Amino acid sequence: MELRRGVILNLEQDKKLVDNRTRVRRLMRTSIVVLIILLFLFPIIRPPLFFLTLFFSVFMYVALTESWNLMGGYTGYVSLGHVTFFSIGAYTTALFMNRFGVSPFATAILGGIFAAGLAGLVGYPVLRLRGAYFVISTLLLAVIMQLIFMNWEFVGSSTGLWFKLLPVSMETNRLIFYEVMLVLATLITLLVRRVEKSKLGAGLIAIREDEDVAKTIGINTPWLKMQAFILGAFFAGCVGGIYGYYMSYIHPDITFNINTSLLILLMAFFGGCHTWTGPLLGAVILSLANQLIVTFIGAEISRILYGLLLVIIIIFMPDGVIEYIRASQFFQKERTS
Amino acid sequence: MLEGIGVSKKFGGLAAVSNFDFSVVEGQIVGLIGPNGSGKTTLFNVITGFYPPDTGRVIFKGREITHHKPYQIAKLGIARTFQIVRPFLELSVLDNVAIAVLYGRENMGSMEKGRARALELLKFVGLESKKDVLAHQLVAVERKRLELARALAIKPEFLLLDETFSGLSDTEIQEAIRLIYRIRDDLGVTIFLIEHVMKAVMGTCEKIIVIHYGLKLAEGRPEEVSQNPLVIQAYLGKRRA
Repeated sequence: MELRRGVILNLEQDKKLVDNRTRVRRLMRTSIVVLIILLFLFPIIRPPLFFLTLFFSVFMYVALTESWNLMGGYTGYVSLGHVTFFSIGAYTTALFMNRFGVSPFATAILGGIFAAGLAGLVGYPVLRLRGAYFVISTLLLAVIMQLIFMNWEFVGSSTGLWFKLLPVSMETNRLIFYEVMLVLATLITLLVRRVEKSKLGAGLIAIREDEDVAKTIGINTPWLKMQAFILGAFFAGCVGGIYGYYMSYIHPDITFNINTSLLILLMAFFGGCHTWTGPLLGAVILSLANQLIVTFIGAEISRILYGLLLVIIIIFMPDGVIEYIRASQFFQKERTS
Repeated sequence: MLEGIGVSKKFGGLAAVSNFDFSVVEGQIVGLIGPNGSGKTTLFNVITGFYPPDTGRVIFKGREITHHKPYQIAKLGIARTFQIVRPFLELSVLDNVAIAVLYGRENMGSMEKGRARALELLKFVGLESKKDVLAHQLVAVERKRLELARALAIKPEFLLLDETFSGLSDTEIQEAIRLIYRIRDDLGVTIFLIEHVMKAVMGTCEKIIVIHYGLKLAEGRPEEVSQNPLVIQAYLGKRRA
């Protein structure tokens, strides 16, 4: 009898726990929606350019980190080549607009398509490699592509490329692409979330957990990896296109900078790369922290603080901030109920 | 149902499996035994497409599968378990099986359907009470059950078991043997198993193939094989034979 009561009690506790969790989840969802709407309306108050650019870079890193996470987080293939797809998007967009006068909104998607095409070509050999070999080959991709664009006349080589702006003022131009980037980041995050919960996502996670076992249960692992790689590259390419418009100038040193790849990777690991919420949180916190420290304290100090922060995170929250929060929430409720 | 003709696989100068013939008839439980390093697991890896054989052919239901990829072989209906069980450690027990349902031969589209089918399989192997537990929290015998459930989730017609009984207690082995009979009788799956636990092999299998240094040493009913002087010699040395 005693035992049975124990079981019933446990069930009630579990139910309370589940209730609490759904409540927290609902609250989170509502606040995210409200936040997105506020951010969308933000330009109405005519904020200084500083804030616009700050938020723009937050959106951009959210979009990049989420798209990177398809391969890096779910599938467990850590790519340092993400910046390449981003840059291909930016350059494709610039060239199509400047040389052929294609509308900026179509060109961003074209940028995505070119990036996805490159991912398909590169992915075929590179996705056969695992672990460190995969990481190194994607690093090489990033470095080689930067060198090519640095020396290629047609794409402006080391002088870079200016974007033909829309026939509106500089401020309006920036406002437009601020909004576009916000929408794009939201869309990409939602799509990645969708993938995570889909059959494709389940297959990718199986590959991360054990690629050989994944094969024995009928998963066409090369094809699934290719899908994740191409989809991630497509998103990054679109983001690159919008980035180019916002900045209105691109240069191999800036656009192809390998630091961007490293930042993306750090943001994903910082937030926690097993769910879509981790990269979102990581990208928001780290890009805000980075920009604010650089602006108010100084670039040199920023690097030290940034490094320190990362060390702390790695020691105390090895699965990322999101998993840490989740675990602590869980325990708190268990104690109080 | 499954047949191998002259299968050879070399690793450098070492012939892990050489000119090996075998056949498993539908509905049988066949055992593959042999001392450590005799080529048992290599043969399984050849059958399931992980190693392409240097020579020879593997035929499943009259269809050559020699150079098929592992996932294609799985789709044709050959499932396998691993010697050292390999669950997806970070996932729940239910999802471990559900993913296999999704990508297996039933080819379902949504996680919900996959989970529903996975739950039936967990009931079949007696693991439904652990469905929401993460796989790394399971104890050894539960992991073996999970490994079986995941292999069955692709809806196989043929199951390769690599040392399923190792590390289990006597009662656990008895349960596992019963489970294997149920897999064969209730699900109609033909079974080819590698085993070290002699008692289990002798009691379960209708036919036993003995492999030694990659060569076939003997083949036949359990009592014939266990009396074969060559087999005794391979296991216990020349003096005892």
